[in-house]
Order: sequence, then C-alpha cells, then structure tokens
Amino acid sequence: MSTPAEPTADPTVDTATDARAIGVLTRSPWRQPLAVIGIVVIVGWLLVAVLAPMIAPADPLAQTFGKLSPPSAEHPFGTDNLNRDVLSRVLHGARISIPLAMLLVVLSAVVGAIMGGIAGYFGGWVDAAIMRVTDLVFAFPAIILAMAVSAALGPGLSNAVLALTIVLWPGYARVIRGLVLSAGQQEYVQASRLLGSSALRTLTVELGPSVAGPVLVLVALDVGNAILLLSGLSFLGLGAQPPAAEWGAMVSAGTAVFDSWWVGLFPGLAILTVVLGFNFLGDTIRDALDPRTARAIRS
Amino acid sequence: MAGRLRRVQWAALAAAGLVALAACGGGGGGGGGDATGGGAKDTLVVDTAFLLKSADPARSFETTGSIIDHVMYDTLLTFDGSDATNPKPLVAEKFEASADGKTFTFTLRDDVTFGDGTKLTSKDVVYSYNRVKNVKGNPSFLLEGVTTTAPDAKTVVLTSEKPNPGLPYIIPNPALGIVNSAKVAAAGGNDQPGADQADKAEAALNKESMGTGPYKLESYDVQSEVVLAANPTYWGPNKPTYQRIVIRNTDASVQKVNVQKGDAQLVLDLSADQSQGLASDSVKVDATASKTLFYLAVNANPEVSATTSNKDFLEAVRYGIDYDGLVQLGGTGSQQSAGVVPDGFLGALAKDKAVKRDVARAKAALARSGVANPSIKISYASDLPVAGIAIGDLATRVQENLKEVGITVELAPSPAATSLDAFRSGKEQGALWFWYPDYPDPSDYLVYLPGGNLGKRAGWNEGADAGLTELGAQAASEMDKDKRAALYQQLQQQLNERGPFLPLFNPSQVFAYSSSVSGVAYHSAWTIDLADLR
Repeated sequence: MSTPAEPTADPTVDTATDARAIGVLTRSPWRQPLAVIGIVVIVGWLLVAVLAPMIAPADPLAQTFGKLSPPSAEHPFGTDNLNRDVLSRVLHGARISIPLAMLLVVLSAVVGAIMGGIAGYFGGWVDAAIMRVTDLVFAFPAIILAMAVSAALGPGLSNAVLALTIVLWPGYARVIRGLVLSAGQQEYVQASRLLGSSALRTLTVELGPSVAGPVLVLVALDVGNAILLLSGLSFLGLGAQPPAAEWGAMVSAGTAVFDSWWVGLFPGLAILTVVLGFNFLGDTIRDALDPRTARAIRS
Repeated sequence: MAGRLRRVQWAALAAAGLVALAACGGGGGGGGGDATGGGAKDTLVVDTAFLLKSADPARSFETTGSIIDHVMYDTLLTFDGSDATNPKPLVAEKFEASADGKTFTFTLRDDVTFGDGTKLTSKDVVYSYNRVKNVKGNPSFLLEGVTTTAPDAKTVVLTSEKPNPGLPYIIPNPALGIVNSAKVAAAGGNDQPGADQADKAEAALNKESMGTGPYKLESYDVQSEVVLAANPTYWGPNKPTYQRIVIRNTDASVQKVNVQKGDAQLVLDLSADQSQGLASDSVKVDATASKTLFYLAVNANPEVSATTSNKDFLEAVRYGIDYDGLVQLGGTGSQQSAGVVPDGFLGALAKDKAVKRDVARAKAALARSGVANPSIKISYASDLPVAGIAIGDLATRVQENLKEVGITVELAPSPAATSLDAFRSGKEQGALWFWYPDYPDPSDYLVYLPGGNLGKRAGWNEGADAGLTELGAQAASEMDKDKRAALYQQLQQQLNERGPFLPLFNPSQVFAYSSSVSGVAYHSAWTIDLADLR
C-alpha cells in the first residue's frame, strides 16, 4: 500500500482512523524507540502475568522463609515481614494489576460509550442531564472521589474497580459525546437515518467505527493510569486485601519497614515499568492518529 | 480497651507523614539541645503520635493525655517504675481496706501543696473524684459504684457498692489525679450530678494545670505540641531533672530520623521492625512486651456458626496457631501471652502454661469434630495498626497456620468502626482484635467471661459456662492478694481450655532515646513516667 490511508473517495472519518491505527500498530512503531520500549515492556509483563505460576520461584503466599531477609541468590528480591518471597509476589502481582486495570478501563469505556452515545445522539434534556452528572464527577480529583466511593462500598478489589469505574467513565462519555455530535452531521449518517435506521443501529453500525479510533487511544493511555489508581487505592488499604499479592498493597507494607527497602522498592518498580510501558504505547498511538504528527511518523 | 478506638488512620495519616517528613527535612537540628550540666538539665524533647483529647484529667483517657496528666496531677496511690502489682502511697501516706472489700480508708499526707501554695486536703480528693464521675468522660467508669467521702481533712473514704479488690490498682490512674478544688471551681468546674453539662473548667485546665505534680502545663496545643515546665515548689522527694519537657506530635515514620539526628531525645511509637539497627553509641533502644493483647475470638454461639461453636473445632484452632511465629512477626520485645492477663499483672499465668502449637493434636481434634469443609471467617480492622503491626498481617499468618491443619480461613477486613460494630453484635464467626488494659488489675479481664462485655462479642452468653461464671464471681470479691492471684490463674487456665478467646501475644513497646537520658521505664497506666527521666 503506497498511500495507505488517504481518505479520497469516501469522505468518512472511520476508514481513515482505522487505517492509521492499523498502520501504527503494524509498521510505524518500529521507527519509534519509545513505542518499541513500551511494547516490549507490556508484552514482557503480559507474559509474566500468564506464566507467573511457572516462573515464580515460590508460592507467593508461603510464609516459610526468613523474616525481612535482604536480597540474596536464593531470594533475589528478599523476603517481607511475613517471611514471603518478594520476587514471587511481584511476579504474581502482574496477574492482579494488569488484567484488572484493563477490565476497569474497558468497563469505563463501555459505560462511557453508552452514556456519551445517548447524550450525543438524543441531545436536549437527556444530554444536559448526563453532562451535568459528568460535571459532578469532574468536580472532584479522581483519587479523592475513588477513595470516598470505595470507602463507602467497603475495602476490596472488586469494590475498588467499581469505584474507579464510577470515576473514569465520564471522561469517555465526554469524548464520545463530542465525536457522536460531529460525526452525526456527516451525510452518510443523515442518509442512514432518512432510510429509517433505528437509533441503536445508527449509533452502533454508522457511528461506532468513527468513534472507535480515538477511544482506543484513550483506552491505551488510561490503562497505565488505571494501574496507578488501583495500586493507589490498595496502598491506602481500600483495594486489595491480605494476603493478595498486589503491588500497591506491597508498597504500602514496605513503608512500614522502610529500612528493609526491598519490600517496597521492587513492587514499586513493577508499577513504574508497566505504567511507563502503557504510557509510551498510548502516546505513540495518539501521535500517529493526530494529523499534525501522523505524517511525520508515517513518512 | 477495644471499645475506645485509637485514631482511625489511613490516607490522612500517610499524607500527614509526608508533610511532616518534608517539614523536618528543612528544619534539621532545631530541636531542643540538652545542656548536660550538673543536676538539673535544660530541655527534653519527646516525640509521639498524639492520642490526645484533653489535659483535663476528668476527661482524658487517651495515651498522650495519660502521659502528661500523670506528671501534672498526683494520685492517692502510684506504682514504682514498671511494677504493676504493688500500689504505693503517694498523696495518701497509708490506706486500709475493709475485709469485705467495700470500704477503703486513705490517710493523706499533710505536706502536699498545689502550685499556688494551697495545701491539698480531703476536700480536693472528694471534689476531683466526684468530678470524674459526674463529668461522665471516658474515665468515669473507673469509679463506677464508688462513693467518696471525707470524714476529716486528712481522711478520705471510698465506699464501693460491690466488693472492689481492684480499687487500689485503679487509684493510680492519671485520670484520678487530684485537682485544686477551689481553683477548678473558680474556673467553672462542677463536681455535682449534671456536671457533664455544668462543668466548664476544661478550657482553663488546658491552659493551666491545677495539680500537685512535679510538672506544670506551660502550653498546650492538641494538634502540635504540649510543653511542660518543672514545678519549682514540688513537694515530693524526687525533684524533676528536666526544666522543660516538649512533647511534639510526630508521626512514627519520622520519629526514627528525629531520634537519630538528636532532634528528639525520646520517641515513643517506633515498631519493633522500625527500631531494628537503630541502637548505637548515641541512641538506646528498649523493647519490652507491652500489656496490649492481641486475641482471636472464635464464636461460641451455635446460632452464629455450627462450625465455630464446635468444641473440637475450637481446640483445632487453638492448637493450630503458631504462637511463636506470631511473636516473631511482632518483632523484638513481643511475647506470647499465656492467658488473657498480661505478664507483669497480678494473677498472670506463668509463661510455661501458655498454649503451644501442636499440629497433630489440632488435626486429631478437627477429625473428631466431624465438621465437613471446616472453615472460619475472621474479621479484623484493616486500617488500625497497633504498635506498628497491621492486624491484616496477623490474620494472614493465622490463615496460613490453619491451612496446615486443614481449616480454610476467609479474611474479612473492614474499616475499624465498621469492624468493631460488627464484632460488638456478637455475630462474627471469628475476630482478631486487641485489648488495652484500662488499669493494671486482673479484674479488668472479667469481661472475657460468659455474658461479659467481651464474652458476648464472642457469642459466649450468660449461662454458657456456669463453672467459669462462679469462679469469676469468687475472684471478683476475694480480698487476699495471693488467693486472688491463684483464682485468676485458675480462671485463665480454664479459659485456655474452654474459652472462645485465644490470647495470641503482647506486641512490644519500643522506646528509643538519646544515651544522655536514663530512667526510661514502661508502665501500662501512663506509658512512661516523664518525671522519672534523668
């Protein structure tokens, strides 16, 4: 494909976006070192998450080692105050943080898509009502509101995910509403409506594809954020509960024994790398989709 | 006591810690230097995380309040050093108890004077005690059923409705410090029924101490710091060494740095793990078992759980827990509690009577119980570290211990307030909680009996064990010290056989202090006697 994504004949937004996104994912990242790093890190962590039971040297819950022993050949990341192997816990932590963060972001995107789609498509008082709800959520810093909600629901990972979904969906709803509003003016959409398509069909079949691209970028950018927020709640004792090997909770345990730096440092590094990885990837996708920077990447 | 929650600390505290850390990074070296001269020393800086509501003894029952009230207000009786078994005369030169344990007669010294020069008389004692009762603050329960009268200026008589052999052990509590009745009354104080509304003296008592103690209140800020100044006219034999004592509200995470840098000469809240490797030429570390008890309650009520109320299941849990492992988790200074009454109190069980882990016995008991898929849900407060130990860590360890025996433990963490409410309802299958002694006497532990305040929380209701109830009644009214001790030991041994409470361990109390300071000793009633520091 010499001119892969020039939307000449068909003036629709969706094909252009799709093609750009595909181009980014297949070809151009390799010219972008940050994207390569991001993808390598993420793939690495995903592999760890899948293979953790096989590659971890010990059971993450086994309390059979020394108390707070520093890193050694036997325990490369040392042991914590409950005599558990920190390396095994960090590796198993990937099985909690990454899938949950993805689930959380997808949940938020789905809820946001439904609410944003309804608001953008129907307009009027429905739009006003939904947008005021999003304003309400935006009025608070995300982590503070998430803390309040999960404290009200009670500590636990599922409640933390729920609380964060409540905090994160308005961001998607806003973006999607805007996209639906602008794409809704396109002639093919008007044509489809004139032909008698139902609202559901217009939203999903006609408008869905043009909304998908930007939302994908948002999702990729948000996974890192979601991992941070989830770990943050766990750090505060509102997310993962003992004995779960969750990174935020492990960092929190590390703060109680500051001199045994290995207890908190390694899970902290895990959070750092995986969040950076997702951010690099998200940034690259965003740059590729932004007309101002996309050309530079693709040429 | 479990009912009086320490500060629920989570996010806010973490944030406060960071702020304090930042603040302290900027102002290093600004703390009080101790001019080590002959005899009197200049200033002592003490860092502790404040648990402080008031400096008014009638309203104060929190740790920090007890520390400061103890040196500002003398009591009729006191304890020496870390001893908790021999109440010693202080303001009272002697006391006598009637054979039935209902009447206690105290003879006062005649050389005790308040800061303003007035002599302390029996009128002040009656006023102080009545005020504690009628203000209805946290400590008012100490004098429940006790009436105070003064036949003459030198004599005070306490009359108890019920035999009260523990009263001499309650009297030294800092909340029962004696105030200057004329001065407090002038400041709006009231000791009559209805004082909970009528008494207005708290504000004045937060500005100025009106007691006979070795220290006076110089300034008081419930958020940041309390400054005590030596009482130049102190009547007692031990004149205070430090001219000023500054007690600063400091998060535990910062205390270590402060004592290392010399910003503070004494810090009170380090955990055993935090104090590892802190001892050096300039810093001393004392870690001793505190009187706080961690216990596991296993519900005895069949309506709550057929599993946990099964006697054999209880035995399996009791012998399945690795007590030594929990002590190790607690860190240096922690020690297994043989019974519910901590080591060092009258009637404490000898250490060799403690339950030892026996996995084979636990497995046998479990098999005998006939419970299919044995499991227990253990609830605990997730946001309330005690002595630097997260209760979740203890619960996690218990879970791992019982897994070896074949019992599945489901952990049910919740915020302290919610968790305590649920525990109080008596409907929790299992609960991991802690108990601070209200006063150093085994009678404070009668609540663990069937139908007692705590017993009910473990589903152990009135009449569940007639033998123990009878033994408890006997112990509660026995006046002879040795017989009392024997009765309480017998009681605890039976509790260890049949009771739904599994005493786990006493976590350590760590004091880290500059090597220029001496006389540091832990006492459960006032944590530390600042006037004893040299």
